[in-house]
Amino acid sequence: MPEGVLTVLKFCFLALVYLFLWRIVRTVAAELRPSKTLVPVAAMAADAPAPAPDSRRGRRWEMVIVAPPARAGETFSLGEELTVGRAPGCAVVLADDTFVSQVHARLFARGNDPYVEDLGSTNGTTLNGDPLLEPTRLRRGDRVQFGETVMELVR
Amino acid sequence: MSPLARFRRTRELSLGALAVLVAAGGYVLLALSDAPSVPPRFWGFLAAIIGLFASAHVAVRRFAPKADATLLPIAAMLLGIGFITISRLDLDATKAEPAVGPAQSVWIAVGIAMFVLTLFVVRNVRTLARYRYTFLLLGVGALMLPLIPGLGAEINGARLWIRLGGLTFQPGELAKVLLVIFFAAYLVEKRELLSSGSRRLGRLYLPDPKHLGPLLLPWGVSILIMVQQKDLGSSLLFFAVFVAMLYIATLRSAYLLAGGALFVGAVAIAYQAFGHVQQRVSVWINPWADARGDGYQLTQSLFAFGSGGFAGRGIGLGNPDIIPVHSTDFIFAAIGEELGLLGTVAVLGCFLLLVGSAYRIAIQATRPFSQLFAAGLATILGIQAFVIVGGVTRVIPLTGVTLPFVSYGGSSLIANFIILALLLRISHESAVDAEAEAEGLARLAEIESAHA
Repeated sequence: MPEGVLTVLKFCFLALVYLFLWRIVRTVAAELRPSKTLVPVAAMAADAPAPAPDSRRGRRWEMVIVAPPARAGETFSLGEELTVGRAPGCAVVLADDTFVSQVHARLFARGNDPYVEDLGSTNGTTLNGDPLLEPTRLRRGDRVQFGETVMELVR
Repeated sequence: MSPLARFRRTRELSLGALAVLVAAGGYVLLALSDAPSVPPRFWGFLAAIIGLFASAHVAVRRFAPKADATLLPIAAMLLGIGFITISRLDLDATKAEPAVGPAQSVWIAVGIAMFVLTLFVVRNVRTLARYRYTFLLLGVGALMLPLIPGLGAEINGARLWIRLGGLTFQPGELAKVLLVIFFAAYLVEKRELLSSGSRRLGRLYLPDPKHLGPLLLPWGVSILIMVQQKDLGSSLLFFAVFVAMLYIATLRSAYLLAGGALFVGAVAIAYQAFGHVQQRVSVWINPWADARGDGYQLTQSLFAFGSGGFAGRGIGLGNPDIIPVHSTDFIFAAIGEELGLLGTVAVLGCFLLLVGSAYRIAIQATRPFSQLFAAGLATILGIQAFVIVGGVTRVIPLTGVTLPFVSYGGSSLIANFIILALLLRISHESAVDAEAEAEGLARLAEIESAHA
């Protein structure tokens, strides 16, 4: 092959490599741009009107541990969110309850209403004895059980 | 298939096709450099690379459909460039530097098989965290294997290999991955304790010494690798990855400073104690002082970059075969001679995007263990590329490690393919979690509107 042809081919080869790099960059850019087509459910949730927290009527909910007796009476104020689990980073650490997952569930306020959501725990969460399948609104007096620990919404 | 999965897999396929095209083009260029036409074995090569990429791609589609789209094509690109370079060096194979292309093609196939196997076996990356101490033992054991008399083998002055039958294997490459699993699991467990101080020392709050003690273990292990196996590269890599993970876990820059101080201390002692360390440093400071002796490798490498210039001499048209250990440690110099600055910058660009994507996976990871684990794996790839590219370009003293996916070497290829599979698994899990969370939020919004 004449050297001139080889030189042209070499530049074609290098151009292809850079085209590849450019296409990778474009792919990454497409991923980083928030897109409705990629994760439609997320987009839907973001579009739904979020209930604005109303600080004037805002009230603080409290959860109290009712069982086991060793920890009964401990009270947690439900601000924006309380995570429950055995991991030391949780807001409610249930380190002694071996039926509780590391990060078991979360209690959170939306607007002025308290909710509970199971976070994929191994043994599940129950609300007044029924398995909790989805994020559910709590009413005063509701009892939520994680492992062997029961908490009640007092006010 | 969800829209996300469809988007990512389609992109992966088209990017991979481009990488295959580049590899095929390089093969043609190499063939044309000393023959008038393309030899018939080109079609076999083309079929093989298409088959290899397709099997990896199908495995991802099957086992991790929502995983990141860019990792596999970038790895394919690096493998292609590396394989072309190795095949080119084989044209001038000598007794001292035998042809390794055929062996490399077998290792690539084995590596892809390990990639598929890892995706198949590790269905949930968090289960790895449960076996953290087993992995610690296995990792340290693997590092020690070459020291066993009879089993271990010394090549080029470093005792890193084990010999089984006719095959040599470098268990340290796998040990890196095993130890990163352990570090990630350990640090997730202890991050709170390590990032908050309980004892005061001047203006610093120090964590309890009983938690700090185990952190010195990796330092000891890396010194051991340096002393016993005379392997500066692995030792540096191992320690740097640990310090980086510790910093990512705790976000305390004091650990970076302390790590740096321990590193400087170890280097100072090693410099005093070992002739080979002194030699590396003096060659780095002035390779021309003994250009035909100790400095030979490095000066040949610099000549290669110099004669490559901006666009390189063309595949098959330079003399990269005169660089010592050109198919492993110095492969970047061989690329520099034949593809020039343009080619080497493209390779660095690939690494930048590969490591960038890996860190993006770490940032997007939804679980603490996955996050640290991905960050550790990304750091391995990044530091390893930096150490060897910096070494052959005389930015830092030369320490021999392989250039991931590019260099010849079975153990390194297998380890890197396993790293790739684990990163894809983490990426897939995070995408699944993110979609589930989005779905949960949507349901919550419905509940709220029902109550309103």
